[in-house]
This record gives sequence, C-alpha cells and structure tokens, in this order.
Amino acid sequence: MLIVDLETGETSEDGLDDDLVSQKIGGAGITSSLYETYKDRDPIILGAGLLTGTLFPASALSVISARSPRAGYLTHSPFTLKAGMELKYTGFDYVVILGKSEKPVFLWLHDGVADIQDASGLWGKDVWNTTDLLRKSMGDDLIQTLVIGPAGEDGSDLAQVCVNYWSSGDCWGFGKVFGEKNLKAVALRGMGLLEISDPEEFVDQCFEILEAIKGSAIEGKRGVEDILTAMGESDAREWLSPVVHRHSACYNTPYPTNTFIYLNEDPTTLTEPAEPEPGFMITDIGAVLALKKMGFSAVDAGHILRACARRGMDPVPVAEIIGKSGQKDPKTIEQSLVGLQGSVAVPDGANFSSWVPQQPMFGDFGLSGEGSFKDWWMRRQAVAYIFGIHPIFANMSPELSEEVILEMANKGTGLGLSQETLDQVIADVCSF
Amino acid sequence: MNFYDSYASINQKLARGVVLHYGEEEASVLPRDPRPLRIPRIGVYAGTGTSHSWLWFVEIFDRMSFHEIVFMTEDMVRDGVMECLDVFAMSGGDTIRIAEGLGPEGARAMESFIRGGGLYIGSCAGAYLPLTSSKQHLDRFNFVDIKIANLSKTRPEAKRMGRKASTSYGCDFVYHPVREDVRLRMTGKEPFTGFGSFRAPLYGGPSMVASRDSDVLACYEGFTEKTLFLVDESLAEKTLLGKVAAARTTMGDGHLYLFGPHFEHPLFPIANHLVATAIFWDMKKGRNDGKPSDSEFVLEGPAKEQLVRDIKREISNSRIVAVGLESIPVQWIIGCKTYEPEKIRVFLEAIWKRINALERSRRICARSETCEEVVAHASRVTQLLRQMKSRIDDRSDTQDLAWDLFDGLRRLTTIFLQIYFDSLGRIHSVSSGKK
Amino acid sequence: MRIDVDALKCIGCMACEMACGYHRDDAFALLASCIVVYRAREKKDYFGVVVKEEESLMIARPEGLEIRRIGVAEEASDSGPKKEADASAKPMLLREPCDLCSDMKYGPMCVKICPVNAISLLEGGE
Repeated sequence: MLIVDLETGETSEDGLDDDLVSQKIGGAGITSSLYETYKDRDPIILGAGLLTGTLFPASALSVISARSPRAGYLTHSPFTLKAGMELKYTGFDYVVILGKSEKPVFLWLHDGVADIQDASGLWGKDVWNTTDLLRKSMGDDLIQTLVIGPAGEDGSDLAQVCVNYWSSGDCWGFGKVFGEKNLKAVALRGMGLLEISDPEEFVDQCFEILEAIKGSAIEGKRGVEDILTAMGESDAREWLSPVVHRHSACYNTPYPTNTFIYLNEDPTTLTEPAEPEPGFMITDIGAVLALKKMGFSAVDAGHILRACARRGMDPVPVAEIIGKSGQKDPKTIEQSLVGLQGSVAVPDGANFSSWVPQQPMFGDFGLSGEGSFKDWWMRRQAVAYIFGIHPIFANMSPELSEEVILEMANKGTGLGLSQETLDQVIADVCSF
Repeated sequence: MNFYDSYASINQKLARGVVLHYGEEEASVLPRDPRPLRIPRIGVYAGTGTSHSWLWFVEIFDRMSFHEIVFMTEDMVRDGVMECLDVFAMSGGDTIRIAEGLGPEGARAMESFIRGGGLYIGSCAGAYLPLTSSKQHLDRFNFVDIKIANLSKTRPEAKRMGRKASTSYGCDFVYHPVREDVRLRMTGKEPFTGFGSFRAPLYGGPSMVASRDSDVLACYEGFTEKTLFLVDESLAEKTLLGKVAAARTTMGDGHLYLFGPHFEHPLFPIANHLVATAIFWDMKKGRNDGKPSDSEFVLEGPAKEQLVRDIKREISNSRIVAVGLESIPVQWIIGCKTYEPEKIRVFLEAIWKRINALERSRRICARSETCEEVVAHASRVTQLLRQMKSRIDDRSDTQDLAWDLFDGLRRLTTIFLQIYFDSLGRIHSVSSGKK
Repeated sequence: MRIDVDALKCIGCMACEMACGYHRDDAFALLASCIVVYRAREKKDYFGVVVKEEESLMIARPEGLEIRRIGVAEEASDSGPKKEADASAKPMLLREPCDLCSDMKYGPMCVKICPVNAISLLEGGE
C-alpha cells in the first residue's frame, strides 16, 4: 500500500494487513475502508481487485475511489484495458493520494518505486498529447496512464479521467478531482511477479471456467456492435460495421468489449497505417448509443467521441448536452467542447459507474424481468469491483458465479473467505 | 548433489572462522589435501573488450558464497591491484580489444601476478588471451605455449551464421565449428576428478592441442541435441573431438586454467563445480594483505535507504525501456561482436535481482563517492536508453549511442556489484566477529 | 510441431502471454514469456503476436505471418538495411524459446488459454 502526500511531496509504504484482506477482501472493499481512514484529506484511492492480474478470466479491473463532485459522496470508477492489471504489477495494490500539490505533478509508479514528478510541461496538453509525451519521455510505449485533459484542469464537472487515449468508466467527475489536486496523470508500469497460494489448482480451475465460458452464449460475438444489438439496437451492426477496424479485449477478458473504428483511414487496412491517428477506440457503450440515437453517423459519432477523449471529457453528459442543443455538425460540436459546462444527474444512491449497461447481456442469470435488474446489477458490480473482474464481462457471464469467484479467491490467497464475509463487504460497499 | 550449496556452506563456514580441510566434512566436494582452506579473493575482469559473460562468473560466485570479489578494470590491473588477489577470472569478449585495453603494462602485471603464485582462470576469450600469438596486442600475453585446433589457412565454408563464424587471424582464420552445448569428458587429472562426461556451452572459445607443459583436464567428447553446427559436421568433429577443452598449466609459482567452453555459465552445475574446485585447489598461497575495496565504509539508516531507493528507481526506469527495445529489430556492432537489445537487460537484471538483498540489509559498504557514482551512472544509463528509444522511433542511427550505452552498463554493473559483494562480505565477517 | 497464431482472430487480451509467463516462473509474470502480444501501436490499432522459437521469431501480423531467422543474414528491404549474419546474435538467458510446454499436463498453455482460439498447434511440416 502506498501513501502519496501531494502537499509534502512525500511517499511512504505500508504492508497490506492480512486482517484487512480477510475482512474487506479487495478492490472497492478495501478502498472504501481506506477512504474512511483518510477522508479528512479528500483522498483519491486506486485499488486493484483481489484477483486482478491473474489468470482468472476477465481479471482486468482496478478501481478509482473518491468523493465524486457530482454525487457528493464516495463512489467508484473502474479502469480496465491493460491499466487495471498494470497497477497490480507496479507492486502497489492500493495507492492513497492525499492533499493537493502546489504545482502540476504526475505520479509515476513503477516496480515498487513511486515518484512524484513535475508535470508543468504536460499541463495544458490534451489527453492524447499527454500520454504520448509520458511514453516518449520515459522511453516505453507500454506505460499505462490515467490522465486528465484540459477539462479536468479547468475544473469542469464534465471532466473524466481517461485511460491512455480512451474514455474510461469514470462517470463520477474524477477528472475534476484530479485537476483540483494539480494531479495531471498517474503513469503505471510494472514487471513484477504475483505469487499465489495454490497455483496448480488455481490455474486448473481457470482453464475449466474458461472452457465453460467459451461454450457459452458469448461464443461468436464481438465488440460494441453485438452489445448494442443485445441492448435492442437491431441495426447497430449495419450502423457501425462500415468503419470497424478490429475488436480488442481488456486484459484476459474473453469478450472484446472495445471496438476500434477508422475515421481517416480505410478500415479494411491490415498493415500498419502511415496515418498516426487513424481513428478511435470505442470503449463507452452508453456514449456511442446516445450518439447513435441522436442520428449521428458512426463516423460523426467517432469524431465526437475522439474529441471528448482528447479533452478528457465524459462523453455521456456531453452527448446529453449536444442532444439538447440540437447541434449536428461534428466540427462545431468539437469546438464547443472548449469550456463546455453542465450538470450531471446522478441516480440516488448509485455507487458504481453507469459505464456498464444495466442489464445482463448474452448470458442467462435466471432473472425474472427488468424489475429485478437493479439489485442484481448493484450486487454484480460490487462483486466485480471487489475481486477485480471486468464489470461489463461480469454482466455477460453467469459462469463467474459468486461461489466460483470465492472458491478461486481462496485458492489464490489461502484466506478462507466465506460467503458471509462477502455479503458483509458488498453491503458495506453499497451502503457508502 | 547440490554443488552450489556445498560451496556456499564451505565459504560461509570459512567466513565464520571455522577451520576446514580439503576433502573433509563440508569440504568433501573437494579432493583431499592436508592444507586448510582459506577464503579466496577473486578478481573478475570487466574491463574494455569484455562482453557480458563475466556476469556468469558473478552469478555462480554469488550462489556459492564466494563473496570476496573485486571487479577489475584495465586501470586497476595496471595499478597493481592484482597483487591483492588470489584468483583472476577472465571470461568472454573481444580478445584483441581486451589485450589492447590492458596494454603492455597490464600484460606485465598479469604475468607478475601469475608468476608470484596467483591463479588465472580464462574461458573463451580469456582462454585465447594467454596463448602464444604473433598478432598485435596479443603478442604481449604469450604465457602459454598451447596451439589452437580451430585455426585454418583458408576460411571454412559456413553452414549457418554466415561469415562471422570465422575471423581472420594474421594470415590464418580462427573459426567456430559449433555453438551451444557440447559434451566434454574429464581425464581424471587432479583436481578435476569424480565425473566422466559433462556439458558446457561453447560460444567461440578455443579447441586446444595438448602440449607437454600442460595438464589436460577435459576433452571435447561429442555433441548434444542442442549443438548448432556452424560448419560442416565432419569438419566440426575433426576440429573438436578429442581436442583439449580444459587445460591446466603453470607459470612460475602460479597456475592458469584455460577453458574453451564457458565453464562459468550458470546453467551447467558440474562445470561450475570445476571452476570452484580450481579456485580452491590452485589459489594463491600466502596473499599480500590490504583489501582494495570499500568494505570499511559503512552506510546505514536513512542514508542507506535513500541510496538503495535511488538505485532502484533508475534501474527500474532502465529496465522498462530495455524491455520495450526487445521487440524492436535493431542490432549494434561493437568491436567484432554483435549486440542486441536483450543484452542490455543481462546487465540490468544482474543488478535488479540483487537490490532486494541491499534493501533487506541493515547496512551496506560503500564510500560516499561510490554512492554518488553508482547513482550517476544509473541515471546516465537511463538517459542513454531513453535517447536510444527516441532515435529508433525517429529512424535515426544509434550505433554511437550503443557504444556509450554498453560501456555505461559495464561500468554501472561493476560499481553496483562491488557494493553488493563488499556488503555481503562485511555482513558475514561482522557476524563472525572478524574485522 | 509448432505454435501458430491467427493474428486476425487475436483480440490482444494477453492471456497467452500471462499463461506462458506462469509456465516459466510458476507465478503470474510476463517478463519470461516467449509469446508476446505486440501492442506498441495503440493509437493505430495495430497489434499482433510474436513467438520466440529455438532458431526463429514467428511474427503473426494482421497482414500475414513472418518467420524471421535469428542470426541469419537478411538482404536490405523496406523494413531495414542489409543485416549481416552473426554467430553471437543470440539472446541469452532471458526469454527461453518455446518448448510447447512439454513438461505441463495442459500441453501448450497459450493454446489452451486463448479465449477466441486464435492460437493452435501445428504438426511438423505444416
């Protein structure tokens, strides 16, 4: 566990107490507990799930936990792609960021080393330039970044913490929280080694679970198109496929939830394009759905989403604002993003990011109807955020039952966690 | 039998002041002899012209708890530091660059050391170095009159690896018939007893012809499933099989062990055991005292933690860049050797895997100048690596950077490893009550 | 027998890389893996898979497969200048070549862990 004090510029480390893990398990369970300990210092807490970064299917998630400026209380955002697992491999399962820096800084976490570094050369730059500069200056294209853009620096309620170049699951305005602390980015890279309690049994069972998943309802399905179709958008494939390049998955996640569309390059190109920025990776289903419903073409939607990501803005409320304005020209919309403000409505008592569609997809979870979705969704997200499972995939795969997850967590840690403990942690996380 | 544990046990007991004799109890891995054992002080040569294989000596010495190690450069050899050593180990690299770096003064220092009773262990380039030669720079090191069998008047046809499978050598050509694991057979001559056949890897080292003045300790017996033939198989057989792979010879009061294959490669336990046997058997008898290292300068508390943190930061930064470079198809020629990005990490991993030990230790041994130097070198290596990545991305040439980088890596690794071994040596001597 | 990768089926999830790392280190780690997802062109959505074999690198690009011999001379091409062959062009000790997980009960772990069956085992000569 790493404590970062932005005020003093100092960092310190603490070992992770086994008791804390036995009581709070991991991920949002522990970040919630740490928030209570440090809440006077308005902390941002990054936390890896208990299973994050292992061979357990879809173990891609880490969380950002902080007081949301939109909600006014503690909430959690997932970050996945390869950044979620990279946090674990930096050697820091939990990072508590306290206070506010006097000057712009970024946090560089690598192989058990935590450096607070000057970000004056990055401040004012958009998300894409920032990630490019961080990777270039540190000499590695695989550094994972949590970055804010000008929107976060300007204190916009619409600001989002982005992952590398892409929109993330931050629907809580954490971009504003980062900006208020003068924290431009967190850069992550780790080549550590994760040992577990009973590796052979653990890996055996990972393979068994994966076989069950492969033969399940997700078989043959790919990307954002099939998710949109499952959500009732029967023309999603027709709308999107002319610009689809490839689909890709977050770490170890059997379903590729991300779809890359080419906007200024032929999407059938397979060789490395000469164009340095040929398109955009759609990671936010809600945002692309909103833009589709507004009648934008896939290309125009892509341009708008890319512009949002560059500025570090949450595309869902941006889409809402665009909808209300009636503006249809993507170039005009892009220009209007500068200084765009707006309030974002938050459902009562919501703790988890609405980035994840609020329904099961593909898999049959034995739910009786839409009415039962809400509680099921809350619990399913809580489990995902505690154990580090991709939250969208968690809603696709009944094979990842709580029983299976607990069994695997115990095989991996030897801690003997019980269903009662899990129920309590879920209740605690959901009640904050 | 785990040789590493056996030698570690011997060395740890010696460090605690326990008296041990050859062939008895813990030292039963060695041939019998009435002499008491003594901790050897070993110089590992890491000067100009060496590649990365000296790190293999480091690895096996660490495993076997040979902790009195001095990392030698050509300057130190010329300055007479060898007189404080019992053993001088020279591994692979570019033989001519090594000879050129040492120069006539270095050659004289080496000769004086060996004649004065010191033990020289040379593998690969280290084995070529003291062999009689008329070639410029090498002609200062004519210590041993052993001929090499992998010499030809005409360049042999290469089956693979192209024309670099041989290099011109005066009017002739030195050629390398095979690479990778070969099978060797011990002749049973002391101190190499107790085994018949064993394996070691050959990466360009000599095939030698027996001479009257030297003992043949092992011969090339055959090839393995891993052996890569660089020339026609029949030529390889003729060049190697039955020829000398390991020889022991005397010069004055001292001895030389010459190994064609890399007996110090850490994946070959029997060969490593023979290196350790040679050290104990023929190390210098009665050494000039005066430890040339920094073991009296102790750093503890916050200063020690800060130093280790600073080193760790830079090595982590360097490793991150180095891992990324491994996926880029780039090569550099330094001397007559080809370097690829993976070789960068060989140096960095040798440091990285030992940082934990320094983190855990309460104190480390290093002068304040050495502390500054190691951090400065580590930071410079990081800068060079980042520059290299940037230039590769811009499709610019990186050959000049590569020279600086590998030189910097060598210097950084020697400084760090000196701190590491000095600190380990001090821990053991403090715990034994010895100064 | 050797590993074959269909780069167009690949979703870049890195499960293969982690599984191979587990095979090498008996723990979850990526550094020793001999199958690596090439993902350094994130903004371009250009990714593939590289497998280190005994004497070659198998590079599964989206546009097709390339087998590059280690240490062998190559003529100048669009991808670079002429490369001399070299006996010392051999990576040492760090990433071991693929051994098809011959000591593991699962067989090649990368084949087993790939969720989209992009990796397969080819018989010799294929």
